[in-house]
Amino acid sequence: MSHDNCHHDKKFAVINPSKICQPMGAVQALLGVKDTIPIIHGSQGCSTYMRFQLTRHFREPIEVASTSLSEKTVIYGGEFNLMKALKNITEKQTPRMIAVASSCLTETIGDDMVGIIEKFKDANQDLPIIIPVSTPSYTESHVEGYNRTIKALVEHLATKSVPTGKINIITGNLCPADVTRVKDILKTLKCDNIILTDTSENLDGPLTEDTLSLYEGGTSVDEIEDTANSMGTIALSKHVNSAGAYLEKKFGIESISGPLPAGMENTDEFIKSLCTLGDYEIPDSLEKDRGRLLDAMVDAHSYNYHRKVAIFGDPDFVSGMTRFTAEMGMIPSVVCTGTESKIFTNDMNLISHEKGISPVVLAGGDLYDMHRAIKKTGADILIGNSYGASMAKEENIPLFRVGFPIFDRLGAQRISTLGYKGGIEFVDRLTNTLLDFYYDEAGYEIIEEETDVEKTLNTYPVMEEI
Amino acid sequence: MEPVIETFESRKKHMCVKGEGLSIPVCDKASMPGTVTQRTCVYGGARIVLMPITDSIHLVHGPIGCAACTWDIRGSKSSREDLYKKGCSTDLQEKDIIFGGEKKLFETVMELNRLYNPGAIFVYATCVAGVIGDDIKAVCKKSQEITGCRVIPVQSEGFQDHNKTKGHWIGGDALLDYVIGTREPEETTPFDINIVGEFNVAGDLWGIKPLLEEMGVNIISTMSGDSHVEEIAQAHRAKLNIVQCQKSSNYVAKKMEKKYGIPFIKVNFFGLGQTVNSLREIADFFGDEEMIERTEKIIEKGLNGVQDEILDYKKRLTGKTVALYVGGNKAWSLVRAFEEVGMDVIMSGTKNGIREDYERIKETVRDGTIIVDDANSTELARLLKKYRPNLLISGAKEKYISLKLGIPFCDFNHDRISAFAGFKGFISFAKEVDASVSSPVFNLTSTSLSDNLTLKDNLKTENPLDNISSTNLGGDQHVP
Repeated sequence: MSHDNCHHDKKFAVINPSKICQPMGAVQALLGVKDTIPIIHGSQGCSTYMRFQLTRHFREPIEVASTSLSEKTVIYGGEFNLMKALKNITEKQTPRMIAVASSCLTETIGDDMVGIIEKFKDANQDLPIIIPVSTPSYTESHVEGYNRTIKALVEHLATKSVPTGKINIITGNLCPADVTRVKDILKTLKCDNIILTDTSENLDGPLTEDTLSLYEGGTSVDEIEDTANSMGTIALSKHVNSAGAYLEKKFGIESISGPLPAGMENTDEFIKSLCTLGDYEIPDSLEKDRGRLLDAMVDAHSYNYHRKVAIFGDPDFVSGMTRFTAEMGMIPSVVCTGTESKIFTNDMNLISHEKGISPVVLAGGDLYDMHRAIKKTGADILIGNSYGASMAKEENIPLFRVGFPIFDRLGAQRISTLGYKGGIEFVDRLTNTLLDFYYDEAGYEIIEEETDVEKTLNTYPVMEEI
Repeated sequence: MEPVIETFESRKKHMCVKGEGLSIPVCDKASMPGTVTQRTCVYGGARIVLMPITDSIHLVHGPIGCAACTWDIRGSKSSREDLYKKGCSTDLQEKDIIFGGEKKLFETVMELNRLYNPGAIFVYATCVAGVIGDDIKAVCKKSQEITGCRVIPVQSEGFQDHNKTKGHWIGGDALLDYVIGTREPEETTPFDINIVGEFNVAGDLWGIKPLLEEMGVNIISTMSGDSHVEEIAQAHRAKLNIVQCQKSSNYVAKKMEKKYGIPFIKVNFFGLGQTVNSLREIADFFGDEEMIERTEKIIEKGLNGVQDEILDYKKRLTGKTVALYVGGNKAWSLVRAFEEVGMDVIMSGTKNGIREDYERIKETVRDGTIIVDDANSTELARLLKKYRPNLLISGAKEKYISLKLGIPFCDFNHDRISAFAGFKGFISFAKEVDASVSSPVFNLTSTSLSDNLTLKDNLKTENPLDNISSTNLGGDQHVP
């Protein structure tokens, strides 16, 4: 693996970011919680622009309230607006929970959200649960925002009572279809579980008016309370395991961190983790799904072999995809995540070593860096979100859209890559993308005519002359 | 009187019906904390006004989110550079918050100048940049001196106001203070104009520009669609400013009138009648006989090309109702265009309207039209449910609220697909509206499997064709 210091021509500017700020992660996590109102304590743009990104990705209405801070707030503090917001919400609506995420503005002016919420609770009765989450936008990224939010939920709610034998699954920011894939595996294994948090229904809703009310789907407050009684926690993303660590320390619940079950080896690993925590029988159907993934990989191998692939997105997604594409015989040439992370670089070291590959690894990189690296190392296909489109166009390679956000194609909520079944879909679609791009309409490789072909042809006698 | 919809007491006066009680709604007030506001911040307002300047780098001085969520959203097209599409940020970190971000900003500006050699670098202040007291002006001045590149501060701290209109003004101020009047044109003509408040969303400008050029006017600059900063620098030599988006850009036009004595007229290229009026007003302003003659020919040709093309659309759209809920300008500028395809505007509202905007709306719409200010998402859903228009015109955040209610929708904001301005644009407009309003999918949205199963049982005794004709053949979809 080469740790290309790709910042040699750029040290300061971020150009075309591949990360978002922490409150986005908080919202992503909270959209999987039932009957809950997320609110961002900040300027109106914080909630509005995030809703904009989320709504055009999921093609669902996205509701995130704002404390609508203004100039006065900055001088006198945001207490008045936060109190007023809580008052307005509780006056007209009866959610089970309100979760308040902070912003760079309120963190910088030093609003004491915990104190303000306590004060509100003291002055009012019959309130929903109100939880503050500290998500300063100027540290780390949306990935950490997600992590902190799940941790805050568990810290505030998890309560010891009777052991349930369930497994807590912290998903990280997955698309609804992938949450469903993970749940399918758990169901096959008859593994009772609590998903933190379950966006599968909320962010892929049917066409009904009910989708405009508070979510009836998703993880319930009761379930989050019950996480203290599970027999284990698995975080599918290594970057969002703080809640698992907390439950382990506080309640002695064993915690396993990652990897994201992308591809065969990682899905095997996930099932192994489940079997470490509990006594599950592997049914035939799961073995068959695995066999089908292998079958798909074998069917596709000749098209994928040694194709160079460049991958960008959230850190665990990128490491998962790197391993998966390497399993398929592809060569990950550039891998990039916007989040600086030791875990990520360690993962990459391990995968590179195991698979004998040496991708350019950009941890804390942006799409400018990525593009530079692709120009140097080459890539036959790019895997990532819609922001990769212009780069792919310039390099004349196809973009396989997966991740967040995808706003220029339909069905982002239904792209699944995880587990054996999601893996099958991924292998087929990725390979078909290559077939569409590099092969002719009948599936044969496009071969450039030799320049002297015509000359050769001309030397053959023409029919008429014979 | 019955309120327009049920909502918070203090919000009821933000909605009214023209011809009854309140003459215009209460407006320009801070949104209620705790609601899902459809508004954005001052930074957003400034950014959308300036971002269409294509040869410039737009650098957001703040934590990553402010740039990450907004860098590609304008839908504004370019015929030349695509530098403006890059998402640039100083990505402020905790240590910058503590020790100040000026040095990082300076280095970032220097670096971007070195990498791209842009026409200008616009530096946008965000909430945090303002709170920590970074002197953006000083950094811009210093880096401009060193690089020779225009480095322009935009003091757009997001929290400054509840209304992003303030952001439009701040964006305008950046042009007025640092760009306009800084370069002399090589040549001038008696017919020099600027097109102000035209952002070339989906290519609108390209529907207008050929008409104006054929008339014989000379376009010095557009603010800011498909523009270069050096063109805007010469804008002070125009004889006339024409203002398309009067919501965002009357401010700039008024200031230019005061500072440079350039008169302005309000134009509107959405819809046939409005396009015709606008072209005539421009020609009348110059009073040049030949130009007036040419303009009449352009109008005749333009109208001839359209009428036949829209017949089909108009047949299907006549009598259908539409609700507008937009940033500002389109709340009045689209009304006539809809009337021209036979539709009836039953509601018009804005997220950021100020008094003069609502006066405009009131003048434009007919009696009985609902006028709405700053409706939050719950209120919007209630309005749609209660009045069930055949179409909602709004932006991305409102789209799925409408669609989930089975109400056809067109995004006329950043995500608009086709250009609507001018004569040819009107055909695209009719086509796109028709594609939403008349799509048969909306005949199915209120059905359910269980209903259909019961219906099938009932149908056995009736003539099945009676029902098929009303459900499948594009009849009235929505019975209010």
